[in-house]
Amino acid sequence: MLLDILSSEAVLPAVKANGKKQALQEISAHAARLTGLDAHEIFETLLQRERLGSTGIGEGIAIPHGKLATVDKLFGLVARLEKPIDFDAIDGMPVDFMFLLLAPEAAGADHLKALARIARVLRHPGVLERLRAAEDADAIYAVLLENSAPQAA
Amino acid sequence: MENLAIANIALLLGALFVLIGIASSLLASRFGAPLLLIFLVLGMLAGQDGFGGIVFDDFRATYLIGSTALAIILFDGGLRTRMASFRGVLAPAAMLATIGVLVTTVATGAAATLILGLSIVEGLLVGAIVSSTDAAAVFFLMRSKGMQLRRRVNNTIEIESATNDPVAVFLTIALVEVLVLQEADTGWAFAALLLQQGVIGAALGVLGGMSLVWALNRFALPHGLHPLLAVCAAVLIFALTSVLGGSGFLAAYLAGLMLGNRPVRAFPTILSFHDAATWLSQIIMFLVLGLLATPSTLVHYAFPAILISAFLILIGRPLAVWLCLTPFGFGKREKNFISWVGLRGAVSIFLAAIPTLTEVPNAEIYFNIAFFVVLISLLVQGWSVGWMATRLGQQSGESVADPKRLEIDLPGQLELEMVGYPITENSPVLARAVYPSWMRVVMIVRNGEVLTPEAAGQLQAGDYGYFLAPPGRVPRLDRLFASGDGGKPPALGMFSFAGDALVEDVARLYGLHVPADLKKLTIADAFDERFEDRVEVGDRIAIEPAFLMATAVQNDEVAAVTVEFDDPDEKPLTPSSRIMTKLKAWRSRRALNRAASHAVDRRKAAEPEGPATGSEQQKG
Repeated sequence: MLLDILSSEAVLPAVKANGKKQALQEISAHAARLTGLDAHEIFETLLQRERLGSTGIGEGIAIPHGKLATVDKLFGLVARLEKPIDFDAIDGMPVDFMFLLLAPEAAGADHLKALARIARVLRHPGVLERLRAAEDADAIYAVLLENSAPQAA
Repeated sequence: MENLAIANIALLLGALFVLIGIASSLLASRFGAPLLLIFLVLGMLAGQDGFGGIVFDDFRATYLIGSTALAIILFDGGLRTRMASFRGVLAPAAMLATIGVLVTTVATGAAATLILGLSIVEGLLVGAIVSSTDAAAVFFLMRSKGMQLRRRVNNTIEIESATNDPVAVFLTIALVEVLVLQEADTGWAFAALLLQQGVIGAALGVLGGMSLVWALNRFALPHGLHPLLAVCAAVLIFALTSVLGGSGFLAAYLAGLMLGNRPVRAFPTILSFHDAATWLSQIIMFLVLGLLATPSTLVHYAFPAILISAFLILIGRPLAVWLCLTPFGFGKREKNFISWVGLRGAVSIFLAAIPTLTEVPNAEIYFNIAFFVVLISLLVQGWSVGWMATRLGQQSGESVADPKRLEIDLPGQLELEMVGYPITENSPVLARAVYPSWMRVVMIVRNGEVLTPEAAGQLQAGDYGYFLAPPGRVPRLDRLFASGDGGKPPALGMFSFAGDALVEDVARLYGLHVPADLKKLTIADAFDERFEDRVEVGDRIAIEPAFLMATAVQNDEVAAVTVEFDDPDEKPLTPSSRIMTKLKAWRSRRALNRAASHAVDRRKAAEPEGPATGSEQQKG
């Protein structure tokens, strides 16, 4: 499930950022390094998406996402922020946990499914607390995988 | 002595049937069967070919009962229609009610002429009899299923069905005249008669309704007489208009509309009384119509009647709807849905009694065909309408199970109404930090204690709350206090978009399908297009397979929406789990009802001690 889109290297346990733009820039750079895509292109896509409306879904979570012509399959990346930043989230709460999702132009329903799945995992009771308390990247990855099993729903 | 015995037996049977009718409503709500169909079948069972063996062929009595019942039902329909709902749909609804009926009549008439081998005029008469959708059936179905349709569709259907009977009645009578007198009036005389029916009907309806409002507010009648005055006035307006050559049906509907949209003394009592009166009218009318039918004759007409029904449902009605609504920019799915909700009902059977009363040759053809068509329409369309609404994306939200609203009349007070609701875990009001500014909390009953709003603080599940609100806004409270069955978990994805984003941009992002009429619009404009009168938080637009839900509204414009998707991984319900869900929902509803009635009992018990609560006793 989540395993298909999220590799263990794509977990950043402590990202430093002072604002929304900087946070998006940081995760774009990391995503570019892992996928070999252009960081600026990723950043622009995410920024354009945020202009339509914030991807902050509340409770300190943001799921920045967008479609790219150059990506060939769904790509996920998780970033925990050192300190919460303002994200114009739906509930106004600052964001400290981000899940980036990049989708190919033709992803269609898969894009939707992946987003819904991510939102569901993050909203699972207790998951956020454990993610925030997790010691390192491996611990975060473990929490996410553990809760992405279908029976966890 | 024998006469007395007969009267008593008639009374016994009559009461027994109504009782069975009431009991069958329990059965119907379990299976979702159209209740009207059950009443009709009950009548047939009691009739000469059924167990009852009652021979009843008094068309005159049927006509009398039917007229009275229809007047009351239409009056009630008007009573519950908000004038604001006319905005933007008056023209399309009027089109459907006039041209639409005509198109249906001609198309179905042509089909009937061929299928039954009748003359053209006779065929057209068949068409005219089944041409109008039935307000009683439509109102009933939409309300009993708790369907929350998209507003434009909902209002168009309701207003159409309430106003198209006069045209059908007129067409029927005109065609009968041609058949009986064997001479055709000129087209002009036809048009003049139609105009006369409409104008007199409208004028007397509005006038009568206003007089009724005036009388209710002017005279301090003993408490129980207000609703009786309203019902009598409704029948009087209907009869008077008909006597004077106007359309009584139109008049009764308009009178109800007048009454329902003005501040009126004792309105809650009138409304709840009318609830009962409408039920009784429905039961009696359909029982009598069922009784009148002779199933053994009916079966001879089964084959042609099924053909005509199929034509009407699949071609005649859709043709009329598409012709009438296309100029108004209705979407394809909207038109298909409105076509499907073209339910036929009592009006058609009732109109079919006219040829018999006026001794038109072959009168039994009309009655039997009409009866069969209604039966099939109720069976096929009535049963599937909820499913169809979901399939065609016409539901604006989850269906709202009847909120358990308790209304309390405030004597001498017209601006505010007091209502009570049980609060359940699923009540949307619990999720809101602020209440609407026009709603005032009066008191809260919690754990058997009557609390002031200050003492109670925030509402909690299990509370029973009493609120003051302007009468016109009470229906909006219903949504806030809807109990919900908890059948559907909250949707998962939740992304917020600003009102000025383009619908297309959002759709492209997720590969969603934008309805054709919303392309190139901003989100705010799209909501404006779909909910022209008033957009409210919680209104939705489907862009398959997701939907946009308004989360903030400023100056009647949508400022923000969320995109929500149903969980794609959700397993389709298996039949057994579906039954379990229904069972659970039923049990929780029952528990809720019990809790609510307990709360009321306790409140009554607590009343003597609390001086604040003594003032709202219902009657002296």
